[in-house]
Amino acid sequence: MKLDPEVLARVQFAFTVTFHIIFPTMSIGLAAFLMVIEGLWLKTKDPVYLEIYRFWMGIFAMGFGVGVVTGIVLSFEFGLGFAKFAQIAGPAIGPSIGLEVLTAFFLEAGFLGIMLFGLKRVGPKLHFFATCMVALGTQISASWILSANSWMQTPDGITFENGRVVVTNWLRVIHNPSWLVRLPHMLLAAFITGSFFVAGVGAWYLLCGKHEIFGRRTVSLGLGFATVAVACQLFVGDLLYGKMLHYQPSKMQAAEGFWEENSPSPAPYNWIIIPDQTHQRNRFALATPVLGSLWLTHSLRGRVAGLKNTPRDLQPTMGMVFYGFHTMFIVAILMFFIVAVSLWLRVQQRLFSTRWFLRALVIMTPSGFIATIAGWYTAETGRQPWVIWGILRTADAISPVPGGAMLSTLIAFVVIYALFITAFLIFAFRMIRRGPEDAPDHAEASGSLVNALRTQVMDHAAATHPGEGR
Amino acid sequence: MDLPLFSAAFAALAVALYVMLDGFDLGVGALLLREPDENLRDQIINSIMPMWDGNETWLVMTGVALLAAFPLAYAILMPAFYLPIIVMVLSLGLRGVSFDFRSQAVGQWPRFWDITFSLGSIVAASMQGLILGGLLQGVTITDHEFSGSVFDTFRPFPILTAVSVLAGYIVLGSGWLHLKGTAAVRALAERSLRRVTPVFVGLATVTCIAAAFVQPGIKAAWAAHTVPLVMIALLFYAASAILMTAIGGKSDILPLLLALLQFALGIAGTVLVIFPDVVPFRLTLWDASSSAVSQICLLTGAIVVTPMILAYSAFAYRVFRGKTPEKGWE
Repeated sequence: MKLDPEVLARVQFAFTVTFHIIFPTMSIGLAAFLMVIEGLWLKTKDPVYLEIYRFWMGIFAMGFGVGVVTGIVLSFEFGLGFAKFAQIAGPAIGPSIGLEVLTAFFLEAGFLGIMLFGLKRVGPKLHFFATCMVALGTQISASWILSANSWMQTPDGITFENGRVVVTNWLRVIHNPSWLVRLPHMLLAAFITGSFFVAGVGAWYLLCGKHEIFGRRTVSLGLGFATVAVACQLFVGDLLYGKMLHYQPSKMQAAEGFWEENSPSPAPYNWIIIPDQTHQRNRFALATPVLGSLWLTHSLRGRVAGLKNTPRDLQPTMGMVFYGFHTMFIVAILMFFIVAVSLWLRVQQRLFSTRWFLRALVIMTPSGFIATIAGWYTAETGRQPWVIWGILRTADAISPVPGGAMLSTLIAFVVIYALFITAFLIFAFRMIRRGPEDAPDHAEASGSLVNALRTQVMDHAAATHPGEGR
Repeated sequence: MDLPLFSAAFAALAVALYVMLDGFDLGVGALLLREPDENLRDQIINSIMPMWDGNETWLVMTGVALLAAFPLAYAILMPAFYLPIIVMVLSLGLRGVSFDFRSQAVGQWPRFWDITFSLGSIVAASMQGLILGGLLQGVTITDHEFSGSVFDTFRPFPILTAVSVLAGYIVLGSGWLHLKGTAAVRALAERSLRRVTPVFVGLATVTCIAAAFVQPGIKAAWAAHTVPLVMIALLFYAASAILMTAIGGKSDILPLLLALLQFALGIAGTVLVIFPDVVPFRLTLWDASSSAVSQICLLTGAIVVTPMILAYSAFAYRVFRGKTPEKGWE
C-alpha cells in the first residue's frame, strides 16, 4: 500500500485538532456559565447557586487541563506536517498565536488558581472577579485563534516580496474580512454547547429522582441560556452563510449538494446525497421539493448555484463539506426544536415533569460538541484545495516527511489521546454520578496551575481582606 | 535596528529558560521511577507541582517565536525533527495529564499515573537531547528546504547527546530535591548526585570531543574561539568539582546552583559555536527572518510580557521557597 503524506498529514491534523477543540469549547461555555452562576449567587445568596458552581467547576477544571496539553501539540504541528504553510503563514499568523500563548499564560497564572482553589479564601467578590477574568481570558484566547484561522479563510494585509509573505497592514491581518463573524459564531457555539451539557446532566438527575433542586435549577438555566444563544446563532449563522457565499462560493456550493451551475427551479433541499466527484453528479439524492428555493434564495422559484461553477481543480470534496454542514445544520434544527418546546413547557409549568422531554435533553447532552466539530469540518474541508485561500494549496504545503513516519506518529496520537479521553470520561462520569452534594469546595484537578498556590496566596489574600472571608 | 538579532535573542532566552527550568522538573520525573515509597513519591511530585506548567510555557514560546520571526527556520527544523518533536510533545502531554489524574485515581491507578509521569519525563528529556545532537551534527537542506531523512536524528552522535542531556537533567533534578526534600528525599537526592554527576561530566566531555569530529563547523569554531571555549570548559569542570564536595553539605541550595551553572555554561558554549546561525551551519538568522512588521509585533508582545512572566515566576518560587512539607501543600 502506498502511503500518501498529504492524506496522512491532513488526517493527523484533523484528528489532533478535533480532539483539542472539544476542550476549549467546553472551557469557553462552562466559564461563561460559571460566571453567570456566581453572579446570581452573589445577588441572591441562594445556596443552590453555590452548589451548581462547585459541581461544574470540577468538570471545568479537568477539561481545562486536557485542553492545555493538547494545545501544546498544535503549536508545533503547523510545521511538523505543513512546513511550507508555516513558512508562508508564519509572518502573518505567528504573532497572533504568540499573543494567544501569552494570554493563556496570564489567564492561568493570574486567575485560574484563585477561581479553582480560592472560594473560601479570598472572599466572594474577589473570587467573582477571578471567575470573570477566566471567562474573559478564554474568549480572548479564542479571538486570537479565530483571527489566525480566519486569515487562512480570508487572507488580507499582506504582499509577496521574493516569494516571501510580507505583512503590510498588521490590523488587516488580524481584522480580516471573516474574523468578526466567525468569532461570534464560535463563541455562541461554545455557549450553546455548555448550556446543553449543563441541562443534560440536570435532566438526568431529574429522571433518576436525585438532586431534585439542583436538577430543576440547572435544567431551567441551561435551557434559558440555550434559548438566547440559539436565537442569536440563527442570526449570526445566517450572516456567516452570506459572508462565506461571497468570499468562498465553492464551500457553500459543496455544502448544499448541487452540481449543475444552476439547480432546477424550484430548487429542492438536499438531505442525503451520494456524491460522485469524478462524474460531477449525485448518484442518489433525498430531498424535499421547493424547500431549497425557500431557504436558500428566500423565494418560491429561486435557483441554487452548484459546484460546477468552480473549476474542477479548485473544488473541495463535496461529500465532506456537505455532511459536515448538514450534521451541524440538523443538530441545530434539533436544538431549535428543543428550546422551542422548552418555552412551551415552561409556560405550561411542565418543564421538570415531562419525562420524554427530559430524556431528549439527556440524549442532547453532547449535541453541542457534535455540531461544533461538524461546523469546523465544514469550514476546513470547504476551504480545500487551499490551506490559505487563494494563496497556498494544501498539497503544496506538506512537509518533506515520509508517509511511514506520519502513519506511526498518527497511531501514537490515537493511542495516547484514547488514554486521555478514557481517563477524562471516567473521572467526569464519576463526578456526575457522585452528584453535586458531595462536590468539594475547590477543584481536585487543574491542568496546570499552581495546585498549591492555594494555601499561601489564598491565606495571604484572606489576611488582607479579612472582612470578606467566611 | 537589527530586529532579527533581537528576535533571536528572545528565542535564545526562551530556550535557555526552558532548558534550565523544565530541566529540573523533567529530572525529578526521571528520579521518581527510583522511589518505591508512595508517600515519598507524593512529596517529590509536590515539590514541582507549583512550577512545572509555568516552565513549559517557555517551550511553547520558543516554537511560536521561531514561527513568527524565523518562519524559514521553523519550516526546516520541524520536519527535520519530526519524530523527536512529536514523541516529546506526546510525552509532555502524558506527563501533564498524569499530574491531574493521579490525584483523581483510586486503587492501583495512582501508581500507573506515576509510571506514565516518570516515563514521560525520561522520554521527553531524551528527545530534547536528540534534537540538540541533530542540530549540532547539522541537518541536510537543499534550496532552503529540509532534504534529509526523518531518521537522521537517530544517528550515534545525537543518541550520545540524548544520554548526556538526560544525565544532566537528572543532576538538575537531584539538585532540586537536595534543596526541597527532607530526610529520605534529600538522602535520595544525595545518592543520585554522587552517582550521576561524574557520569554527566564524563558524557559531556565525550560529547564535546565527538562534536568536533561529526561537524567541521564545530572544529572551526574551536579554532576561532579557542580561548573563550577553553575558559568555559575549565569553569564547567570547576563547577562540577565544587558540586561533588557540596553534596550533603550545609547549604541546601548550592548543588542546584552549581548544576544550573553547568547548564548555563553549556548553553553559552553552544551559542558561541553556532552564532549567528539559526539553523546551525546552514542558515543565518538574517537569512531566515520574517518581515519587519512581524518581528515588531512579536517583540512588542515579548517586551511587555516577559518581565511579567519572570516576575510572576519569581513570585511563585518565592511563595514555595524552603522545604516541601511532607504532608503536601494543604
